[in-house]
Amino acid sequence: MAGRGRGGKTGTLTAEQMAMLGCTKDLPVQTAPPPTFPPVLNRPTTLETTATQNYQLLWKEDFLNRMRDSPYYIVSASQESQKLEHKDWREKAMTRLKLKTQPEFNYKAMPQELNISSRKRRAADARPKLLAKKTNIEDRLKVLEQKELKSGGGEQDEVKQESDSEQEEDQDDPEAAMDDEMDEDNDYGATYFDNGEAFNDEDDNLDDGPVY
Amino acid sequence: MSADYSHLSSAILEQCFGKVVQAVADCLFSATTRTLGQITSATKFSRKEAALALAVLVKYRLVDFTASKQNPFLAEYSLRREDILCLLRYPRYVHLVQTKYGNVGASIAEELINSGSDTATGILIKCLAEGENKAESPESYRNTFLQMVTDHYIIKRPELLVGDDQDENVPKFETNECDFFRHPNIDLQLLAKIRKGEASLTEARDSTMVWNLNYDRFHQDFRDTIMVDAIERKLGENAAECFRFILKIMYNTTDPWQRKLSNQITFVEIKQAIERKSNNLDLMKYLDQYISLITDDSLGFFRRVGDMGGGVYVVDMEHAFESLAFACVESVITERFGSKAARIFRVIRCKKYIEQEDLQKEAMIPSKEAKSLAYNLFQEQFIHVKIIKKPGGGSNGPAKAFYLFQVKEKDTVRMLLDASYKSLYNTIERSNFEKNEHKGLIEKSQRLDSIVETMKERGETDEYIAEIVETFTPPECEILNKVKNRIKTLSKAELTLDDTIFLLQMYQHHCTSLPTGIRKFK
Repeated sequence: MAGRGRGGKTGTLTAEQMAMLGCTKDLPVQTAPPPTFPPVLNRPTTLETTATQNYQLLWKEDFLNRMRDSPYYIVSASQESQKLEHKDWREKAMTRLKLKTQPEFNYKAMPQELNISSRKRRAADARPKLLAKKTNIEDRLKVLEQKELKSGGGEQDEVKQESDSEQEEDQDDPEAAMDDEMDEDNDYGATYFDNGEAFNDEDDNLDDGPVY
Repeated sequence: MSADYSHLSSAILEQCFGKVVQAVADCLFSATTRTLGQITSATKFSRKEAALALAVLVKYRLVDFTASKQNPFLAEYSLRREDILCLLRYPRYVHLVQTKYGNVGASIAEELINSGSDTATGILIKCLAEGENKAESPESYRNTFLQMVTDHYIIKRPELLVGDDQDENVPKFETNECDFFRHPNIDLQLLAKIRKGEASLTEARDSTMVWNLNYDRFHQDFRDTIMVDAIERKLGENAAECFRFILKIMYNTTDPWQRKLSNQITFVEIKQAIERKSNNLDLMKYLDQYISLITDDSLGFFRRVGDMGGGVYVVDMEHAFESLAFACVESVITERFGSKAARIFRVIRCKKYIEQEDLQKEAMIPSKEAKSLAYNLFQEQFIHVKIIKKPGGGSNGPAKAFYLFQVKEKDTVRMLLDASYKSLYNTIERSNFEKNEHKGLIEKSQRLDSIVETMKERGETDEYIAEIVETFTPPECEILNKVKNRIKTLSKAELTLDDTIFLLQMYQHHCTSLPTGIRKFK
């Protein structure tokens, strides 16, 4: 008696209470898990199809297809790449076409942090700068080549000038400067090279057979 | 909100908006409010993806945001959990609008659904660009739109507050109830210019007024239909028409979502309304009898509360939805356990508290069968047991206990509602499984259909077309038909389940004091 506690609603009945209700006698002893699809006692009523239902079913199917093709159906980048792997060129083209349609949002009525397009613009601006830089370098190399042909001496000064001009460019373009810094400040041993020839030398002892 | 509802809403969102939105919504479902940073760290998506998913949810009015109390520059997002189920009801909304306003109305509703919310001019331009109803003029579109606003099917969203601080991180909105259904100024000439590309949408005078569908107005109609249909089935068409007029009169003086009783309606009011608007001579002639028929009926939709002015009546929403919800519960019991179990359930509900022995006598069912059925009902939580303990004689004697069966109505309905959510989730999942399992076959048939269509357009010979069609082998055809039938049955089950869910939700609104999220204006 003490185990059951005093008063209060337990929510469930104990075996004793069930016995008093006369329910436990009929309970079979369970030895195996229940079937995945238990047998249905009564056949379910068949659903009637009305014209209204047909309209709604067709509309719903159409709506879901429309949503799936819309830019508001968002698939993460990893899922997208997985999907594209299994698709043929036609489907890939269709997917890219779908991706091209941009979603329309009224960002004025949303928190600013949700507006990701402003960041995109910044990223897009960076490219022309880099391109401009490349063309400058090419032009400069040509000029330098011509100078080299004209006069063999004074190389050191020019190298100095070049490095100065690069530094200036870096100052102009902070993002590029950051990139350079990232390139330089890593602990990757660029000069280290292992052709794999010494691979077998290390475990010579193991190949000789077991040591007793 | 139960775990079953959480699974269901997750499945619905995945169906409509994909996995990213689903994950973000799941994250919001489990909390009252979350910030973008919290969502990003919980879902492991990039900030860009999470922001895009949130923007989609805000656009479709599934997420609200407010400025954080600690940091007013930071937005906190909360999910509108109740509204997720409305995504499943879109076909019903469009169908209702189509029956009331024709194809023009349906096209407007469709565009509003597709775009989540938009300005009136924007919606009309999209409708006209669709070209489904090319015969319809822009004027008819405008008139239908305005009529839908007048009838409250379309509601204006709270207007954006433009303060002095232009760079506000979290925008604020101004809610004015008088403004919700104020007609927008739609300039047809400007509309024509915008269509030609001579002007932009921002030039429109209504560019600050954004509209969307008013779900609760649709729900009000669905609720009325349930009641009117019940009366029609039981008391006939004339009584149903009479009750339809009663409901119309009721809305003149009563908030449509008043929980228990309506305000009072007099017999004279009903008579005048029917005489003015109805052509049904039978109804006019025997109106008093029809009203007494509805009043005396056990459904209890309409109740006489006084004798003034030929009789004063109220619409008893509480009683009405109690009757309807328990008719539904009884039919579920009949389908699952048979008619004898339904009888036992009815007896228990009628007697309120009843002992096992009395139950079998009252229900007139053999004792063993009655016990087994009662136990089954108890196990599935349709009925409950109340234990009454009586102290035994003396201090050491065992306490005598009485085990009485009872129906806890609110608990039973909540259990059935959860079971319906679970079934609906299972139906959606099964449907998705069938689609994925036979994806190749379905895609092949779709490709073939499009090829045949283009060939027909090109004017190819029937023999050549038949040859192409034959590439789809008979066994493939058979499998595809079976799959299509299965998916159609599942979709029908979804619609029927949603009907049940709606009815039980109405019970919760009118018969309990639980927060249901239903109110006149949102």
